[in-house]
Amino acid sequence: MRRSRVIEAWTYEPLERFVRESGARLTLVMTPAGQVLAQFGFARAVDVMAAAALGAAVFASSSEIARLLGNLEFSTLHHRGHRFGIFLGGCAVPRGRLLALVIYGEDSSVGLVQLFFDELVRGLQEAAPEQERSRPVLAADFERELNDSLASLFGR
Amino acid sequence: MSLVNFTTREITCKIVYYGPGRSGKTASLQYVYGRVPQDRRGRMVSLATETERTLFFDFLPLDLGSISGFTTRFHLYTVPGQLYYDSTRKLVLQGADGVVFVADSQVRQLDENIESLQGLQANLVAMGSDMRSMPMVFQYNKQDLPSELILTPTELDDALNFWALASHSSDALRGVGVFETLRAISERVLRKLSEEAPA
Repeated sequence: MRRSRVIEAWTYEPLERFVRESGARLTLVMTPAGQVLAQFGFARAVDVMAAAALGAAVFASSSEIARLLGNLEFSTLHHRGHRFGIFLGGCAVPRGRLLALVIYGEDSSVGLVQLFFDELVRGLQEAAPEQERSRPVLAADFERELNDSLASLFGR
Repeated sequence: MSLVNFTTREITCKIVYYGPGRSGKTASLQYVYGRVPQDRRGRMVSLATETERTLFFDFLPLDLGSISGFTTRFHLYTVPGQLYYDSTRKLVLQGADGVVFVADSQVRQLDENIESLQGLQANLVAMGSDMRSMPMVFQYNKQDLPSELILTPTELDDALNFWALASHSSDALRGVGVFETLRAISERVLRKLSEEAPA
């Protein structure tokens, strides 16, 4: 059963459509720093946060090589393995730059993923809201909760 | 840059452990990994060379639980300390919400500390930030070594800590000071987030 976890609700519809049409096993939408906004697909076999951090690193280092070569960037990257392939693509939406990490199996192909990735980008661009205005996040006395939380983490 | 979602009430922040080679950045994360219960942390990813030197980064996601009603997560990263990995240090530093500068307290490592700190400032400036605006804490590691081999925290403050930021002595291999440093940087990152709060 495919599972989704969506932090930014506006990503759900284009992402769900992309996974259904491309046949991807798992797709993560994340910031360039590797923070996951949404995931859709079979995530049980993958450590999602580690995959996102590594995917963001691969894309960042490839972009840096592109810059050294005088390219603006590599807009997409893919690696094909024995059973799985990975595809990485970047796009700009009104909220900033995003990356997608797509893991696909033998029932899909890089061509199919690429074909529907362009549609995913358009969907995300249309659905993305503008940046929200700044507003306070944490209560003034957040330090006490933070200290309690860290103390419990470290068994103190 | 921190990720704040008001609908799902989640916060994710990125903290980077920076400093010269072999100063104790990876050891600090390994200590945290070893102490934190399994259900409150993800897998620790280390991209290292065959000789266990950090090649690209170490990564450790931590779940702090609920703070002010927000599910709060920290992503801890280290950078490779060796001089010739500056381009990868820049990449890891991108999007950082806070920096822990792990200095090697040994007298003979002072120049390496200063050089690394200068590199940090240059990389932050290239990102449109600097050490005064970025939440930052110093961790003076290897304070367990014989006193004749190391500089005291006061001497290290004089040499490195120009803006009188928080500093903590540590022995990362045994975990001394690692918790205090993480608490200090966490407070600073969340306080800044609370003041600025880009959504």
